[in-house]
Amino acid sequence: MSTTHVHLLLNHFPTVGFVMAIGLFVAALIARSDLLKQVSLVAFVGIALVAIPTYVTGNAAAQRLCVAEPDEPCADPAISRPLIERHEGAAVLSLAVMLVTAGFAWFGLWQYRRSRRFPTWSLAIIAVLCLLSMGLVARAANIGGEIRHPEVRTGQAPVSPEPTLARSIARYVNDEPWVWISSETLHFIGLSLLVGIVLLIDLRALGVLRAVPFTALERVLPWAAVGFAVNIVTGMLFFVARPDFYAENPAFYWKLLFVLLASVNTLYFFFDEGWTTTPGSDVRLVTKVVAASALVLWVGVMYWGSMLPFIGNSF
Amino acid sequence: MAFLEWLQQRPFSMWMNESSSLWAFPMFLFMHTLGMSVVAGGSAAIDFALLGLWPRNALKSLKNLFPVLMAGFALNAFTGVCIFMKDAATYGINLDLYVKLLFVLAGMVLLVVIRRQVFDNPEIENTPVSSGAKALAWASLACWTGAIVAGRLIAYLGPVPGL
Repeated sequence: MSTTHVHLLLNHFPTVGFVMAIGLFVAALIARSDLLKQVSLVAFVGIALVAIPTYVTGNAAAQRLCVAEPDEPCADPAISRPLIERHEGAAVLSLAVMLVTAGFAWFGLWQYRRSRRFPTWSLAIIAVLCLLSMGLVARAANIGGEIRHPEVRTGQAPVSPEPTLARSIARYVNDEPWVWISSETLHFIGLSLLVGIVLLIDLRALGVLRAVPFTALERVLPWAAVGFAVNIVTGMLFFVARPDFYAENPAFYWKLLFVLLASVNTLYFFFDEGWTTTPGSDVRLVTKVVAASALVLWVGVMYWGSMLPFIGNSF
Repeated sequence: MAFLEWLQQRPFSMWMNESSSLWAFPMFLFMHTLGMSVVAGGSAAIDFALLGLWPRNALKSLKNLFPVLMAGFALNAFTGVCIFMKDAATYGINLDLYVKLLFVLAGMVLLVVIRRQVFDNPEIENTPVSSGAKALAWASLACWTGAIVAGRLIAYLGPVPGL
């Protein structure tokens, strides 16, 4: 199974998944069910995470589908490069808005964890953002479908006079060396922030920092999310600028898998009742297992990140 | 400079430089990243706590974090020396490396001072965090940020690009 097949499989999840998540969210608002709200917010986060490999495999598919020098037409005349680039531009925009939606959904879950209620302003922002994401991802999917289904194309694909969003970002990052260098530096700072906070939580659960109250951990948790967000943004910049470094790089796909598993692992703590354990006492075994696996997963993310140039072909 | 040349010619340095094994340079680089995240990230967590992101009556509970940070530092002192040996003659004349080492040294000194002044104080949870302790926390955050920035720039500011 090639990355192209993976893209053709994955690309249904952001669209279909988002429709279902929005349905859940609306049902939760009507039913005033906090549990349903939690589930729909988790769904927003999960689908945005799946959208990352969808985007990434899209670049790999494009490299296989359109074999040609940059700015030249594809070798296969049935494949339109402007169409692929428009799809890429629409996809990067929808991915960005989806990730912002996921960020607010995560924050909403965090607020609920702390105060046992969802603030109205938080739900309102999520409602607006998820509808916007839905529209943008539908647009990206629509353009993407025309690449392989010429029968649904409406007329000749217009050759856009200006580069698409993705290509403009790429040009900027590649033309200004300081952008790449400062993004790398930010990537390391974000990583340290994330690991520092995750370390606190996991060492607490594993008993090394047994005296730490979970209410204190709850308060610092958003800083881990800030570190994660910084690294998603800078990581996406690297990928959009140089897809050829990553789209066929096995270490990159391993890293992505570990990032996704580690993120799911983090969501678990929004539901674990062990969180209410009093300072000094032990947590349940399952919480310890999740904490230990979180450490393994984040160290794995760093391992695969370090190996990008050595196992794969980055740099 | 003769010493740096000599260091770079040691069998271990040659192995680091020439081996294509993932257990050579790549593994040391990964371990160095790991140690960095523990020392810099863990220090930042302690700094955040002193700056008010942590309930005061739970400050003492962070004391057990210090040995973990020291282990991270030990890992990086070791892997750092190993990576230095690989290209000693180039790294040794890179001014930015010494800037980074100064930041790391200052960060570690601050960590020890914070432990002695704040965490060894038996009254830690009965008195508000002093403005002096908060200043130490800000300085610590600045040092670790500086160390990461200078560390990343080693590859770009040195006499040989990429090293």
